[in-house]
Order: sequence, then C-alpha cells, then structure tokens
Amino acid sequence: MSKHRSYKAEKFLERLGQKLNRQMVGSLVACVHCGMCTEACHYVLANPDDPTYAPAYKADRLRKIFKRHFDWTGRIFPWWVGGKSIFTDEELEELKDIVFGKCTNCRRCSINCPMGVDFATYNRMTRGLLVSVGIMPEGVAVVSKDQWEIGNQMGVLKEDYIDTLEWMSDELQLELEDDTAIIPIDKMNCEVVYSINPREVKYDPRTIADAAKIFHNAGENWTMPSEGWDMTNFGLFSGDDALGGAVARRLYEKVSELKGRKLVISECGHGYRSTRCEGPNWAGMDIDFEMESSVITMLRYIREGRIKVDKTRNTTPVTFHDSCNNARSCGLFEEPRELLELVVTDWREMYPNRAENYCCTGGGGAMSMSEYTPNRLKSAKVKADQLTATGAEIVVTSCHNCVDGLTDVIRHYKLGMEVSQLVNLVANALIIPEKKVIVEVPAVEEVVKEPVLKGYKILVVDDEPDILTFFSSVLEDNGAEVLEALDGDTAVELALKEKPDLMTLDLNMPGKDGGKVFEELRNNPATAGIKVCIITGRPELRRLIYDRPVTPPEGYLDKPVDEDTLMLNVRKILELA
Amino acid sequence: MSDSKHINHSIIRLVKGDITDLDIEAFVYYATSDLVLGSGFGNSISMRGGPSIKEELEKVEELNIGDVYVSKAGEMKADYIVHAVGPKFQEEDTKTKLKTTMMNSLKKAEEKGIKKLAFPPMGAGFYGTPLPMCADIMLQSIKEYLEGETNLEEIVVCPLDTREYTPFLEALQSLA
Ligand code: SF4
Ligand code: SF4
Repeated sequence: MSKHRSYKAEKFLERLGQKLNRQMVGSLVACVHCGMCTEACHYVLANPDDPTYAPAYKADRLRKIFKRHFDWTGRIFPWWVGGKSIFTDEELEELKDIVFGKCTNCRRCSINCPMGVDFATYNRMTRGLLVSVGIMPEGVAVVSKDQWEIGNQMGVLKEDYIDTLEWMSDELQLELEDDTAIIPIDKMNCEVVYSINPREVKYDPRTIADAAKIFHNAGENWTMPSEGWDMTNFGLFSGDDALGGAVARRLYEKVSELKGRKLVISECGHGYRSTRCEGPNWAGMDIDFEMESSVITMLRYIREGRIKVDKTRNTTPVTFHDSCNNARSCGLFEEPRELLELVVTDWREMYPNRAENYCCTGGGGAMSMSEYTPNRLKSAKVKADQLTATGAEIVVTSCHNCVDGLTDVIRHYKLGMEVSQLVNLVANALIIPEKKVIVEVPAVEEVVKEPVLKGYKILVVDDEPDILTFFSSVLEDNGAEVLEALDGDTAVELALKEKPDLMTLDLNMPGKDGGKVFEELRNNPATAGIKVCIITGRPELRRLIYDRPVTPPEGYLDKPVDEDTLMLNVRKILELA
Repeated sequence: MSDSKHINHSIIRLVKGDITDLDIEAFVYYATSDLVLGSGFGNSISMRGGPSIKEELEKVEELNIGDVYVSKAGEMKADYIVHAVGPKFQEEDTKTKLKTTMMNSLKKAEEKGIKKLAFPPMGAGFYGTPLPMCADIMLQSIKEYLEGETNLEEIVVCPLDTREYTPFLEALQSLA
C-alpha cells in the first residue's frame, strides 16, 4: 500500500517541480560530499560535534526529495541513489527548522565548494516552497505580510514616514542654519532618488539626516520618494519570488514616475542585492535608470571634490564588517575600505575579510525569527572572536541588518563595542563651508534661555541602575522633573499616579516586562495619552511592541544611547524645537 | 480603458491605493479565523483605528473559512470593517471557498445597511492566490450579486499597486 501524502506535501512537490532550473539541478546533483564546505559555516564551528549543521547534510534533505521525484534513476531505484520523499506536515515543519533555523543563507559555504554547489540558493528556494504552503516562522509571516500590504518590512505607515522625513528636514535646517537644507519629497527630474531601509525611519532616523547633510553639501539635485521607498526586500529571505518582484517593482516604478536618473540605495546588504541585482529579474522589468550603493555615491563626492572631509574628527579605532550580501554576492568590498581610509584615522582589517568574512549571524532574516535566537547567538562565537581580535572600539558596516545582528552579538558576548555605518562617519567628518557671518551687536540685557524640558514630567523606567541614573541626570539637566522606576509594577503605579508627559521604557525587565507595561498603559484611558519612548538593549524584542494591537510607541531607541540621541528623540516626541 | 462598470443600478470601480486609508463606508479585511488583526493591513487597522476594534473582535467566537463578521472601524475613515475569512496558501478548493467568502461578505455588508464597500485583492499577495484567478472570481461574484435584488450602490476593488491593478483592469474589461 502506498503511503498517504498530506495535501501540503503534495503542493510542496508540485511547486518544486516548477522551480527547478538548470542552475538548481546542477547544484543538486554536483555535490560529491567532499566536506570542504563544512568548516566554512559558522553554525558548524559552534556545533563541531553535531553533523546536522554541515551544509552538505542540510542540503541532503532537499537533495533526497529531488532524487526521489525528479532524477530518473531515483524515480526507478530510489534506494540506489538515496532518494527519499516527503509525506507529512511534520516533515515539512522539520524542514522549516533546517532551512530557516540552521542557515542564514550567507553563501560562505557556496564560495568554498570546488564543485560550484550553491547551497544557499537552494536553501532559499526551499524556504520559498514552504512559504507557498504557509509553513514559516511566525516572524517571517509577520514581516512578509507587512511588506506585501503596507509596502515596507516594518509596517511604517505613510504618514509616519513622511513625518520622519519632515522632522529630519527641520533638524537639518536648524543644524546648518540654512533654509535650503531640506529633504525634498517626490521632486521630479532629479539626478538622485534616494531609497532607504524602514529601520532608518523607525529606529535610526539619524542616518537619514546624515545622508541628507551629505547630499545637500555635495550640491546634489536629489529627492526621496513618498511611496515605494523601501529598498529592502523580504522576498530574498523568505524565498518568495513574487514578493521579491512586487517590492522591487514598486520602487522601480516610482523612480521612473519621478523621472529620476539614478537610484541610490542606502547602506543595506540585502537591500542592495535585492534592488540592484535580483530585483529586475524577479519583477521581470527592464530598468532605464542607474542604480548605485550610497557607499559609492559618498566616495564619488569626495573624489570629485564635491564634499570635503576631515578624518581627524573620527579618531576612535574602527574595524569593518563585510555584509554577506554586499561582499559575497555583489563584490562590494573595496569601496567601503577606500571610503574608510578617507574618513577615519585608525581603521583595522578583521580576519578573514571581504568575500571570506563571516556572517554577522543575523542574516537571511534571522533577526525576525526569535525561536532560533539562542542557536543564532551560539553560532556567533566566531564573529565575536573576529571582532575582539581587531582591538577596535567601533565596528563599521554598510548594512542595517548587520547593525542589528552585530549589536546583538556584541551585547551577548559583552564586547563593549559600538556599531556604526559609513554614512555616520562621513557626515561626522564633513567640513561644512563657513557661511558669511553678520556680526550682531550684542543686546545689553542677556537673555536667559529656559531649559528645554522645563515644565515636563518624565518617567524613566529601567532595571539597570546605571542607565536609570544616566537618563535621569540628562533629563534633569535639561529642566525636566524626573520620576524613576526600576521595575514594571512601579512604572505602572507611578504612571497612574503622576501622569507624566513622557516615559522612557526598557523592555527586558524582571517581573512585568516593558511590553506588558506598555500595553497595560495604552489600554487604560487614564494613561493611554502618555507618550512612550521604548529604549531597549534587545532589538529582537521590537516586534513584541509593534505587534501589540495598540497605538505604537512615539519613539524607539536602541541601547547604548548617548546624551545627544536621547535629547534629540525626547524633543521630537514632545514636539519641542 | 474604463476602470468602472455598471451592473443594473450599481457600479463596480477600480481604485489603486491603500484600502485602509480609503474614503469609503466599509472595506473588507482578509482575516484569519481567530480574527486577530496581525500585521499588514491588520497593522494599519490597529494603528489607524485604535484599540476599540480589537476589543470588539475579542468577543467574537472563532470563525470558519467563508465566514464573515462586520465590526465598527474605530477612528478610521471608514465606518465598518468586514472581516472575511478566506482560503489561504493554495488550500484545497480555493476557488469555491473564495466565491463563498465573497458572497458572504456582500451579504453581511448589505445586512448592515452598507451601501459602499471596498475589497482588496482577496487572498492575493501574502496568501499566494494567483492574481488572474483572484480577479476573475472576485469580479464574477460581485457581478452575480449585483444582478440580484440589492441596495448596494458601489463596490470598489482596491489593488495596492500596478502589478495588482493590471489583472483586475483586464478582468473588468472582459466581464461579460
Ligand atoms: S564542498 Fe561542495 S561538493 Fe563538497 S560537500 Fe560541500 S557542497 Fe558538497
Ligand atoms: S549559507 Fe552560510 S549559514 Fe548556510 S550552510 Fe552555508 S555557510 Fe552555513
């Protein structure tokens, strides 16, 4: 009697047949099990006694299915070639844990295979097959649906995106004391259309302001699109080519509509690979404009003399982490190094580097799959060792995903390093041409400026006393009345009693965690109006906040937070100039 | 090419854009059977509509595929949200189930006294229903419903981008 196959397993096999192409079949049949890829994988290095992490072992599960159904020898003599089919939903779930939980699609094994087997490519294909029957980690579903329906991976609504751009535009005008220093939105016929990662809007708007500062000083004719602005593409991670095509098409069509001459992609490895390399193929479109990484744009501006930089403003020792997608898949590794030479005084290589560098271990969408976090962090040991060996205090990377991945590794292994991007370093080194200053006769009476937070009551919630003291003193120095809570219950109690204007809220606390506190306060009409700025050291917990069916927090910051960042965000939330 | 079609005294119109931001009396949300709003359009509904929608949905029993529940729309531009639990991820009998979901959505909306209702491409995108099939079933169902006795005046189909819009426009042109 033949074994019964579940409906999903049937559909999985049907779709596999449609997806196979020459390259994929080549990869599936070429492996000679020489084992040369084994040591290339960071999961193997962290689990040396567990053969199930070896790339060739992981690959074999799909290879057996392929052999059983699509290789003629396997169809006739499955026992001879090791063919093995797939029957149940449980087996599909097991496959899910391999392709999503034991591989970041970093392609390090692929470039180390003498037979040209590209495991990462068919690992991605397998993810896509599972997604097509609805089997995927919860986080992958959440992010994919946001990108399908809201148009970006982090569910940023259009009004919030525009609001952030306007905020950054105002900040820039103030900083440069120049009314023309703005972020133009939907301007037609520009030389540069600048696309970004939604992470920049939600957690790191400074990178937008820094980029704007650079474009402005270069005298660039540039704009940012009001729609289709997300250059990241979760289709690359989930293996869903339809999503890949839909996202890429939205951006390409917007650039064409604006008649932009060049699409500049901000620093993001998978965004760059998806938009520049894979997108036209997924979308089935011919592109009539150029595409460029912002790393190359910045380098070009310096070389062409359009901006001037002073590297002595960046003296802290720096190392550089290559994003897998930039370096291994797109060959973008010399330009960031050339740029570093120009904007920092002390930068050190990490080893191995360029195409051989190790994954930040947060790649392939791993940051969204919290069920695999312990394993991911365990596999990050090699990355932590690489970072430590450089002796640098800052690790620079040209990828927003790597920023999150590295921040997590640094925290977990207590490395005490900071993570930065090239745009921040270039902006910091930028020499702003002096404006003609009209000397005013000083007024006789000295105007005493009121502290900016005078009259505001702010509740600071964090279980780490050092952080609590630091935030409190910064806020107090700026005139705020500060209340403090070391745990969730006290936070709720104080919020109810004191009705502060704003609270800063840590997520990971013993007892009632920040997520629960946040939802409780939002759901209580008496406290729903309190503005909240989440400040967390665990970026992977963000989803816990944004998935809650309540109005999202007014602000969000990643630790470590310095004084300027804290004040910038507090002022923005309280709408203070 | 025209982006609308009259069926008796009602009209079907295509409008490209974000359905959760549409100026219309009611719109359909392609829901899960537990009626948890989740991400995507569910996220927009939570953020733009406020907590009252979730509170209302929490009191509703789990639904089956094809079932529909009409909730208030909180602080959104629309007055009502029609939560329709359609088929997902290539599940068995997708076509039949989608048709049932469409008919139930129209019926329940009408029972609430709704006159103007918008649909997204039902089950396309994240849930993987192919666009041509989706457009065909949706427009056929709407047409069939409007040909009967009805007080529904306007049905808007609201694709998010040109990739979704084009197959709907083609299907609307060939709607006999
Ligand atoms: S290096 Fe290539 S041929 Fe050798 S085991 Fe790995 S995938 Fe197979
Ligand atoms: S792609 Fe990277 S994570 Fe996946 S098996 Fe290969 S080396 Fe390991």
